[in-house]
Amino acid sequence: MSEVKKPRSPAAVPGLYQRAVVDAVLKLDPRTLIQNPVMFTVEVGSAITTVLYIQALTGAGEAPAGFIGAISAWLWFTVLFANFAEALAEGRGKAQAESLRKMRQDTTAKRLKEKYRIVKGCEPAESDFTLVSSSVLKKSDLFYVRAGDAIPVDGEILEGIASVNESAITGESAPVIREAGGDRSAVTGGTIILSDWLIVRVSANPGEGFLDHMISLIEGAKRQKTPNEIALNILLLGLTSIFIVVAAALYAFSAYSVQAAGAGTTITVTVLVALFVCLAPTTIGGLLSAIGIAGMDRLIQRNVITTSGRAIEAAGDVDVLLLDKTGTITLGNRQAVEFIPVDGTSIEDLAGVAQLASLADETPEGRSIVVLAKEKYELRGRTVGASGPDAGMQFVPFSSQTRMSGVDQGDLHIRKGAADALFKYIQSSGNTVSDQLKETVDTISRAGGTPLVVAQNGEALGVIHLKDIVKGGIKERFIQLRKMGIKTVMITGDNRLTAATIAAEAGVDDFLAEATPESKLKLIREYQQGGRMVAMTGDGTNDAPALAQADVAVAMNTGTQPAREAANMIDLDSNPTKLIEIVEIGKQLLMTRGALTTFSIANDIAKYFAIIPVAFASTYPSLTALNILGLHNGILAAVIFNAIIIVALIPLALRGVKYRAMSAEEALRNNVLIYGVGGIIAPFIGIKIIDMLLIFLGV
Amino acid sequence: MTSDSIGALIKRQVKPAVLIFLLLTLVVGILYPLVVTGISQVVFPAQANGDLLQHDGQVAGSSQVGQPFSSPQYFWGRPSATTPVPYNAGSSTGSNLGPNNPALVQQVQARIDALHAVDPGNTNEIPVDLVTASGSGLDPDISVAAAYYQAPRVARERNLSVSDVSALIAAQTEPRQFGIFGEPRVNVLSLNLALDDLSEHTVSVPHTGSSPLTAHPPDLVFGMRIADWIQVILFIVIVALISIPLGAWMAKIFTGKPNSLSPVLGWLETRVLTVCGVAAGEEMDWKQFAVAVMVFAIPCIAAVFILQEVQQFLPLNPAGLGAVPWDLSLNTAISFATNTNWQAYVPEVTVSYFTQMAGLVVQNFISAAVGLAVLIALIYAFSRRSASTIGNFWVLLVRSVMILLPIALVISLVLVSQGTPQTFAGPVTVPLLDPVNDTTGTLVTTQSIPLGPVASQIAIKMLGTNGGGYYNANSAHPLENPTPFSDFVEMFAMIIIPAALCITFGTMIGSRRKGVALILAMTLIFLPLLGLAIWSEQAGNPALAPLGVDQTPSALQSGGNMEGKEVRFGTVSSALFAVITTSTSCGAVNSMHDSFMPVAGGIVLFDMHLGEVVFGGVGSGLYGMLIFVIIAMFIAGLMVGRTPELYGKKIEQYEMKMATIIILIPIIMILAFTSLAVITTAGQAGVANPGPHGFTEILYAYTSASQNNGSAFAGLNANSLFYNITTAIAMFIGRYVIIILTLALAGSLVTKKIVPPSEGTLRDHRPLFILWLVFVILIVGALSFLPALSLGPIAEYMGMVAGGLVHV
Repeated sequence: MSEVKKPRSPAAVPGLYQRAVVDAVLKLDPRTLIQNPVMFTVEVGSAITTVLYIQALTGAGEAPAGFIGAISAWLWFTVLFANFAEALAEGRGKAQAESLRKMRQDTTAKRLKEKYRIVKGCEPAESDFTLVSSSVLKKSDLFYVRAGDAIPVDGEILEGIASVNESAITGESAPVIREAGGDRSAVTGGTIILSDWLIVRVSANPGEGFLDHMISLIEGAKRQKTPNEIALNILLLGLTSIFIVVAAALYAFSAYSVQAAGAGTTITVTVLVALFVCLAPTTIGGLLSAIGIAGMDRLIQRNVITTSGRAIEAAGDVDVLLLDKTGTITLGNRQAVEFIPVDGTSIEDLAGVAQLASLADETPEGRSIVVLAKEKYELRGRTVGASGPDAGMQFVPFSSQTRMSGVDQGDLHIRKGAADALFKYIQSSGNTVSDQLKETVDTISRAGGTPLVVAQNGEALGVIHLKDIVKGGIKERFIQLRKMGIKTVMITGDNRLTAATIAAEAGVDDFLAEATPESKLKLIREYQQGGRMVAMTGDGTNDAPALAQADVAVAMNTGTQPAREAANMIDLDSNPTKLIEIVEIGKQLLMTRGALTTFSIANDIAKYFAIIPVAFASTYPSLTALNILGLHNGILAAVIFNAIIIVALIPLALRGVKYRAMSAEEALRNNVLIYGVGGIIAPFIGIKIIDMLLIFLGV
Repeated sequence: MTSDSIGALIKRQVKPAVLIFLLLTLVVGILYPLVVTGISQVVFPAQANGDLLQHDGQVAGSSQVGQPFSSPQYFWGRPSATTPVPYNAGSSTGSNLGPNNPALVQQVQARIDALHAVDPGNTNEIPVDLVTASGSGLDPDISVAAAYYQAPRVARERNLSVSDVSALIAAQTEPRQFGIFGEPRVNVLSLNLALDDLSEHTVSVPHTGSSPLTAHPPDLVFGMRIADWIQVILFIVIVALISIPLGAWMAKIFTGKPNSLSPVLGWLETRVLTVCGVAAGEEMDWKQFAVAVMVFAIPCIAAVFILQEVQQFLPLNPAGLGAVPWDLSLNTAISFATNTNWQAYVPEVTVSYFTQMAGLVVQNFISAAVGLAVLIALIYAFSRRSASTIGNFWVLLVRSVMILLPIALVISLVLVSQGTPQTFAGPVTVPLLDPVNDTTGTLVTTQSIPLGPVASQIAIKMLGTNGGGYYNANSAHPLENPTPFSDFVEMFAMIIIPAALCITFGTMIGSRRKGVALILAMTLIFLPLLGLAIWSEQAGNPALAPLGVDQTPSALQSGGNMEGKEVRFGTVSSALFAVITTSTSCGAVNSMHDSFMPVAGGIVLFDMHLGEVVFGGVGSGLYGMLIFVIIAMFIAGLMVGRTPELYGKKIEQYEMKMATIIILIPIIMILAFTSLAVITTAGQAGVANPGPHGFTEILYAYTSASQNNGSAFAGLNANSLFYNITTAIAMFIGRYVIIILTLALAGSLVTKKIVPPSEGTLRDHRPLFILWLVFVILIVGALSFLPALSLGPIAEYMGMVAGGLVHV
């Protein structure tokens, strides 16, 4: 129920790493790499140093061939490592998508002929359909499925009612009912129909379904960059351009300085390229697309599919969460919490009668009455129709005429039901409704509860207090959300009184009572006018306009086709609490980008200290005093560090930075300390260690 | 947008551009100097006319302008680098020798030898100001220590007792102004005139017993004398106190709210704008605004260019100066229109009074006003919700001038009271007390002191962060900046509007603390740079120490590196002025940056590399700063997991594109033009100092031009076709392209909603974000320029500490 499902672990795919290595090499193709301008410039630099290396091998090099060769090799590694990160993220994402795509495997579909006309309640005959491959089904085609068939593609039920096993997508083994009309009319491709039959209309052309969109979002090459990612790319491109100019200008400056100082030699192109690559934001540039893909991947791991990367980013920006009361904030159904006897009845009698009346009542409310009686008054559960004292019981089901249910056992007539219905019943039995009963009913109503009156042979015994039960832990969740700056609004069809009570109990910031589709839409628009970003979940057709209006709209997989189409995400688990996780994934995605950008830029300080003193030492020997790390191979060590740090950070890029609910201020402080200050210090240590290793290896 | 509609936009702005330009020329170019002159001639007649010194009923010189002394019986003043004769008032200049230039050491040694030659028995260490050239070449003062050093020689030469001479020095010693400002000092001309009187026994010396000042050990507190601490702290406190009400007042004027000036100015504004064809209440979108700015630039640049070409036919040209070469004239025109005020010319011998007044002063006002107008447009972009217009350029321009004009008027009069000339009379010729030979051996007996409507120009030069001096030596010139108090006022004028604008910004976006946060961020960068510069200058030049030069700060001298500095300011105030002028994009100088020690020289250069956003120019500083705030907020916003919001506006692709390009342009221009100069002979030809210092001169020039600062490592000879054209391009792009992009950014921001803050939004005024902003500004500057700096000031410094000069 409210239990948050653990995310699926990243698919352990055999050969994932091997394939990523191969892909990393294939991605060296400049036509592919140009999509990542930062790494493209590094590749150009690698190519230049390779040419210089070959030139040096012929004996005409600007520096010893060994040095140029080593720099060149590590520059290539830098590009390869970045490609590897992307390939790995893609591989993992694809593996996730693949497991989803399995449902998409071609099956045989029973396509109804064009001339077929639906007759209500009538199953099509063999002659009405032809067997085709599911892959040829087009939007608006009709198909027929019956018990045992796999549903070939997504669609909307036009006729029939059936139980369907959706465990392939949701992992939930209990079958669900799907029927035409109403809010449970959507079926998903890959699920299996267990009983009865359905006529379904295809909702999307092949390759245009939700899953297809999601799969293409994961594949790096086709991936649309998200708005924030593009903005960040612009900044990175700007920094890269600056460093290209810095390096190029340095050639002229160095040449002039050699002339002015009358000493030394002009800086080599190899060193300039090395300097450029070290300064360029290669760490974030190399990991940026991996971070984006991994974000999608995390979403799939939680069984959410989306058609736009934009929606994930928007999730991070969400200010207002509209949450349905039922199922999200409260348990799906009301529960009995108290028996209140009236008119001199003892509480044990009331509990006993109430239990009897509910024994056959399979609704959650009914069951909760039985449970309450058992737990509080130690009345053992009894079963209808059993032998012994309870034998011969006749269950009276709820009907919309009487609006009561109950049980008859011989002369004993027990009834329970809504207050007004029971009042009528009591009065019709010739009894009066006592003031005490009325007061009790009113008290419960005023407290936001639902009173169920229990009567025996037309005489009131007492009242059962039914109450919405707020889910365990949800209050803490809302406190966290508030800390993150997210306002929670409870949406309910209840009256204001009931809504206010539950809202206070659950700790939401606001509520919308007596909600209608129009009032929901209006509420969302009001928030958006005020500059807020709104997220909501929904499943019914009447949710569709609000879903379409919301910035982040998550439809339940069990929802109707219009709801699913209006949304930009679908939760396969149909868990309304999932929205909170989606927000966290969105935030984590942005934070990872910000943190690695900061880290990447902060790294540059140490690299200057590694490269500059060596680069100009021949012209101005006193600059070697700036070699505060005492490096012997400063330039090579910096280049190696620059390459290796990409690999070292791949796990972080794929996993995302650690996220927990906190205010913006705290988040910035933590990230600045770890990735800013840490980013300044780490390369000093890393470069020194690499330099010592190089000495040890005799370079 | 089609070319037609651009054409239509331009056409619509031509009439207001021309009419408003003519009107402003009339008001600030003609009326304003006339009013200042009128008041000055009545209230301060002596000071306004060169502060002439009467002696025995005759004019004996100017009490502000020093004279050369070389006879042993006179006290000698500061060495002067002017040509062809020392203390040539017609061509003020410093030596611009770098601290590690061997020529500097040779010259200092020669001066020491000269002093020893006339006073062989004197083995005392020589006070540094006596052997280092002043910034202006006209420094009228020497330190008290330098006077006492010479007392035995003068006494011997004149057969006076040393105690009489010492008593005379004590009597002639000017204490710190108002007990606070500047250095105690001795006016050499006054001292020598008094000395002549003493020798002729026309007066007796009032013996005060002991001299009031003695060379006791320096009372340094954290490396600075208490007097210096008081000056620096007083300055910061006064700026802080005044920026708040001034900022609030400016916000009122810009938004048209009732204010102290509105009864007069409100009426005037409406009339002016109606006449010029600007409808009341008409607003502009960013494209119209940008077109108006650019159309307005045309008459501005053209007028200054043409005035210089035809000045020989125009009035107020007492020196009879001819037409200026076209490349220099163009450079100057762009320089002043862009608020750079880079000066490749020597004003005293290039531009007439009329050109200065009607051309340059007008641009001093207008360029600052344009900066203000663009800033207010950007502020509207933040403060308005889902709008499309960012104000009206003409309205904002006129209001900006109305803000500047009354303040400039007050500052003008303060400067005149201190001795800055304000007259239309021609140069005044005074006799030299101790005639000297010029380089050709001709005896020079007089000194010609150029005057003019100086104070009215200097006031707006400082207030508008323009920086273009009336005289070549700029604010080091004793007439342009006569006293320590005038120096204090000039520094105040440079920084006060940029600082107050932060408050204006906060007021206009409805949260003054956001403005205060920006001031704090600026101050956090400013103070460490200032500290380093002071430390570097006060430590003096290690190359001079072995020669027997006393550079230690004491009660009798400021000590430190006095090459290129004036005695009345000393090292600390000079360093303070330098850091302010490079922080604020002003570019005025009261000491020669080229002669700064490597660290201080590097600091003032790096200060400009930071993008002129630490206070920055009038208007331009804050809009530049807001660009950095956008970048800082973008990265910080990502780190907190939200699409970044700044002041409630979402920072998205378009904003990042504009902000990145705006940051990028000056950096790339500086590096590219410097590269071009160092690889071409035309570029190398201008270099004056050897080694890394020469490289720094070129880097400084293009940094100054690209960032619209205007100060220089003035040893570089920038008046060549190559430098005139390249720096003009850098100045033009650095100003107008940045403005257009800033307006485009404003145009996008103004359309956005304002997101109300929540716990999830990063507060843009909290200490953490301020520190982050400082980090981002510093790291962008450092990453872009550290390699270049390492071949300039860093190499020079490292070479210096490694012992010995860099080999040449």
